[in-house]
Amino acid sequence: MRIVCPFCGERELGEFTYLGDAKPARPAADAGEDAVFDYVYLRDNVAGAMSEHWYHGGGCRAWLKVTRNTLTHEISAVEPAAGVGAAKVGA
Amino acid sequence: MAEFSWEVRSPLERALVAGPYGVRGDAGVSLTEIRSFDLIQVMARRGKAADMAEAARARFGVAAPDAPKAVGTPDATLIWSGPDQFFVLSKAGKHSIEAVGSAFAGSASLSDQSHARVLTSVSGTKARAMLAKLTSIDLHQGAFPIGAAAATSMDHTSVTLWRGDDRDGQAVFNLLVFATFAESLWHTMLDAAAEYGVNIGHSDEL
Amino acid sequence: MVGGPQTHRLSNGGLIDRSAPLSFRFDGKTFVGYQGDTLASALVANGVKLVGRSFKYHRPRGILTAGSEEPNALVELRTGARREPNTKATTAELYEGLEAASQNRWPSLRHDFMAVNQLFAPIFVAGFYYKTFMWPAKFWEAIYEPAIRRAAGLGRAAGIADPDHYDKAWAHCDVLIAGSGPAGLAAALAAGRSGARVILCEEDFALGGRLLADGGTIDRLPAADWISRTLAELAALPDIRIMTRTTLFGVYDGGTHGAIERVNDHLPSPPEQQVRQRLWRIVAKRCVVAAGAIERPIVFAGNDTPGVMMASAMRTYVTRYAATPARRVALFTNNEDGWRTVETALDAGLQIAAVIDARAEVSPAHRSLASKGGFTVLNGSVSGVEGGKDGVKKISVSMTGGARAEVEADGLAVSGGWNPAVGLTSYHRGRPKWRGDIAAFVPDGAPPGMVAAGAANGDFGLGACLREGFAAGASAARDAGRNRKAGAAPVAEDEAYSLTPLWHVAGKGKAFVDYQHDVTASDVELAQREGFESVEHLKRYTTLGMATDQGKTSNIAGLAIMAAVSGKSIPETGTTIYRPPYVPVAIGAFAGHHRDETFHATRLTPSHHWAVEQGAVFVDTGLWKRAQWYPRAGEKDWLDSVTREVKAVRGGVGFCDVSTLGKIDVHGPDAGAFLDRVYINTFSNLAVGKARYGLMLREDGLVYDDGTTSRLAEDHYFLTTTTAKAGLVMQHLEFCRQVLFPELDVQLTSVSDQWAQFSIAGPKTRDLLKEIVDPAEDLSNEGFPFMGAREVALRGGIKARLFRISFSGEMAFEISVPARYGEALVRNLMLAGKQFGVTPYGTEALGVMRVEKGHVAGPELNGTTTAADLGLGKMMSTKKDFIGRVMAGREALVAPDRQVVVGIKPTDKARRLRSGAHIIPKGQTPGPDNDQGYVTSVCFSPTLDQWIGLGLVERGRERIGEIVHAHDPLRGEDYDVELCNPVFYDPDGGRQRG
Repeated sequence: MRIVCPFCGERELGEFTYLGDAKPARPAADAGEDAVFDYVYLRDNVAGAMSEHWYHGGGCRAWLKVTRNTLTHEISAVEPAAGVGAAKVGA
Repeated sequence: MAEFSWEVRSPLERALVAGPYGVRGDAGVSLTEIRSFDLIQVMARRGKAADMAEAARARFGVAAPDAPKAVGTPDATLIWSGPDQFFVLSKAGKHSIEAVGSAFAGSASLSDQSHARVLTSVSGTKARAMLAKLTSIDLHQGAFPIGAAAATSMDHTSVTLWRGDDRDGQAVFNLLVFATFAESLWHTMLDAAAEYGVNIGHSDEL
Repeated sequence: MVGGPQTHRLSNGGLIDRSAPLSFRFDGKTFVGYQGDTLASALVANGVKLVGRSFKYHRPRGILTAGSEEPNALVELRTGARREPNTKATTAELYEGLEAASQNRWPSLRHDFMAVNQLFAPIFVAGFYYKTFMWPAKFWEAIYEPAIRRAAGLGRAAGIADPDHYDKAWAHCDVLIAGSGPAGLAAALAAGRSGARVILCEEDFALGGRLLADGGTIDRLPAADWISRTLAELAALPDIRIMTRTTLFGVYDGGTHGAIERVNDHLPSPPEQQVRQRLWRIVAKRCVVAAGAIERPIVFAGNDTPGVMMASAMRTYVTRYAATPARRVALFTNNEDGWRTVETALDAGLQIAAVIDARAEVSPAHRSLASKGGFTVLNGSVSGVEGGKDGVKKISVSMTGGARAEVEADGLAVSGGWNPAVGLTSYHRGRPKWRGDIAAFVPDGAPPGMVAAGAANGDFGLGACLREGFAAGASAARDAGRNRKAGAAPVAEDEAYSLTPLWHVAGKGKAFVDYQHDVTASDVELAQREGFESVEHLKRYTTLGMATDQGKTSNIAGLAIMAAVSGKSIPETGTTIYRPPYVPVAIGAFAGHHRDETFHATRLTPSHHWAVEQGAVFVDTGLWKRAQWYPRAGEKDWLDSVTREVKAVRGGVGFCDVSTLGKIDVHGPDAGAFLDRVYINTFSNLAVGKARYGLMLREDGLVYDDGTTSRLAEDHYFLTTTTAKAGLVMQHLEFCRQVLFPELDVQLTSVSDQWAQFSIAGPKTRDLLKEIVDPAEDLSNEGFPFMGAREVALRGGIKARLFRISFSGEMAFEISVPARYGEALVRNLMLAGKQFGVTPYGTEALGVMRVEKGHVAGPELNGTTTAADLGLGKMMSTKKDFIGRVMAGREALVAPDRQVVVGIKPTDKARRLRSGAHIIPKGQTPGPDNDQGYVTSVCFSPTLDQWIGLGLVERGRERIGEIVHAHDPLRGEDYDVELCNPVFYDPDGGRQRG
């Protein structure tokens, strides 16, 4: 598999580490145990396009949000995580 | 009281044996370790990418690379190392972390990596053939021209690879590798290059 | 002259070099062949028909094909450590001194004892093993399986390490082409002229594919001349790479392809410094599969008799190798193409015994060829073959209409039509589709960017191959953005190809579908009767297509027979799923450089070579080599050395390389706020110049990692991790920074390799440091208190960082210098410390002292423990949010009966404590119900003069002083231990603060 890193270009799978579903968002500090439980444990079992976190640890160390079809491995979109472009915030 | 000598020792000092290696005859690959350099990682702070770029231009006279590229100046090379960050490679303290620190005050965080990496240059008629065993990056002339850079991996080890100016009509590939991995990767490079014949050396010149 | 004459070699012709004779041995007998031969063609030229015994029935087998689809002619190639089982004689290139042996026979190929299996053939049906060896169950491993494995199976592996080297490499191109037949070469021409970067892989050592055997006229040139002209044109183009002896065996996601290059398989051993084989990962924007087609057998009784050969293979042996598999040839065909073998045989001066053509109509041209050649054309099918290990003798024919005939011949060429090689195009679960006109499956659902052309696409005519290949090459180049003019396609005529499908001829005797796995037509029928009708079930029940040839010559016939007996059409029956690799690939090639010492990359600390000089014993810790202890003369074992090192530290001073700890620079205005969120305790209030121990949780509330973090400047922290988790913590922190807390202004850099870091410990630590640190630096307890951290100058001008932290319970500092000074630092420490008896110590002594001091490490930070379990619950801040905070409060994680860290010591002081021993209440019989925990870390404590340890024990801290039972079923040990305070040494901490 190859992933087009938005910074480095197309790279082979071995440079990346898979984390998992990128959809769950970390609940606010006061959200309560149920919300955190869902965030930590509850996952959809997606057959089709899924948004996933991948780490380009063997390259530029950017965390990426990759939209991958779990049935075909087709990757339709790759975007950096929110904090990667932080240096350009407000620019 | 004892007199202490503070000898600087490259991580490759023992592994590197200057001279020919592998198949005899004309060496297809030249491997040269560059032993003496300063290396600083420069990382823009939040919202300060433009300030960092401005500071880089003021200090080095060129724009810091904002894409996987290496930019040469007369006394430093700026190498992209990730989004909103780059390396400053120089020598003789001209752009050491002490010298550069104030230039980026407020716009970037600096981390000294001078001892954290080993720098090797790979050239020769078989350099690409040998590197094809180590890197998944396409080093074809059209895909990786002079000044191209990549943050990538070799043998599961993170490296920074960039193409310098040609020497004697041959492409030159420069490689920064983590110091504690350097000896291991060095042996892997020798294994990869042995069938082409290798000319091994070291230098203090960037 | 060694060996006999090449009795079956034509006096001229062939793509062999008669000036280069090569002697070789097969089953101990010496023969001669020529450069350009394969082992199979050289055996054919020497009249050898019997080359092996079959897998199950030990039936005599010969050579069926001339390519990588061969199911029969498998040999052990080479000897000793280089012996390679199941090598196809049909693709093994001949070299001087080649040695090969037949397989699966005893004591010899001609007199095979196990051939008695044939007498029991009626019981060796599909599913035989499952049905027969069902009980008693315990007999399976002890008796049945070893016996079956001895009787069945193929060649023997060398059994010793392969002396050769293998490597792996990457290649990149616009257009990748599989196959160098007319379609492949035309594709290369078109893509190359368009300006594309092209890689063409050909598994053969010669380029040309079927042109090498079947010739033809292209652009009014004889095929051989056209090949030469084409190769010259390709050589002149800038970016064409032609790789012979290279099989494209798989296609993976994103245009990544696998290929195996047999770099030096054609030599007795690889030349100096060269590899035997190379595994290629080829990244291509487009791929043209011009891998041709495989001629398919017809299933009839005795179809495995040596001398029965595919018609196209017979042409290959005669034309390409000038070797004659038979002198009097019969042909059994159901199609036009088979007749080409008759033409070839007649041209070579061979006799044609008869042509058995299953079709109702034979063309007038072939009728006149028959009358000119003086042979009969029988309209019917072969129903049996007489002969055995000496080859075909007589062929029985069932004529259309019911009459029978017999034909005397010593060779039978068979053509059942052609199957496109649909492997590569089907590897992404593409299901090939049925084409009625050629009665064959053709590619469908190929992976993105891949297209089949020519025979691989079911278009068998030479003209069609060239047109399709050229068009596919040009369009692949265009898709890759290469748009130069490709010019005109090569031109040739299309031969006629008509066939009447015929898969199986009824008859008496075994009719083989899968030669390599000895699966017969009646096995397929039995599978259907027993309900294994789905092709996937058929495959697994009969093992059809599961041999090393993956059923290249058998799958389609097998499913066609299944279709017939189940009353379905062939497309309804369908194919099984195709999976790579297309040909077997040696494990050595997949491993490449990664074997033995280079199995994985190795990390060396800055003092590594110095430690080697000292004679240190090293331990692998992840990728690291760490000094474990430093033996000295007279010490009888490791315990002696470790005990000495511990005593030296506790009584004086020692140092240990701790550079392996992960080190991370945390920069930025929000660095403190960031650390507050990732650690359970607070760091934003840490004063500059101070260090603090920190504990990280996972989001699920369990402990992730620990380490000390120092504040070097207002906006700069220096964080350390455990050795094991260094990379993972960096990844985790980057996740926190980039994904979870993007609003924070913080920057992270690994500085693990920038600093050489040493722990200096023992009551004389300060004395030693005073020798080496600039006298202006204040190292007193007031000037540099416990948990202080700052930069200091060393004598001689360099700067270092000092951290007053202790893992041993002693007065201790960690000192770090830029890594290239690391070796100088240890030498200087040795020099300066000589007067104090300074002692380098390894990871064992480090471990002993941390257990004595009750510090937790890897065995306790094991992914199941909470901060409270480790006795660190009070560190958990209640004033801020941090990762893992909420989940750490879950009921089960705060339950009072959790297993928590406690000290453990045997009641018998002489007793050795072992980690892994289970803790059971005293007086109870050990079992899962009363298991209360286990011993996690142990050491021999020189300080207490007995074995001690730490453990995770239910309510352990409330039970200090209780005697419990240690049960160690693994080592068969049972003994009593006392639960005690985990801090065995200096519990009030006076020593490290003094």
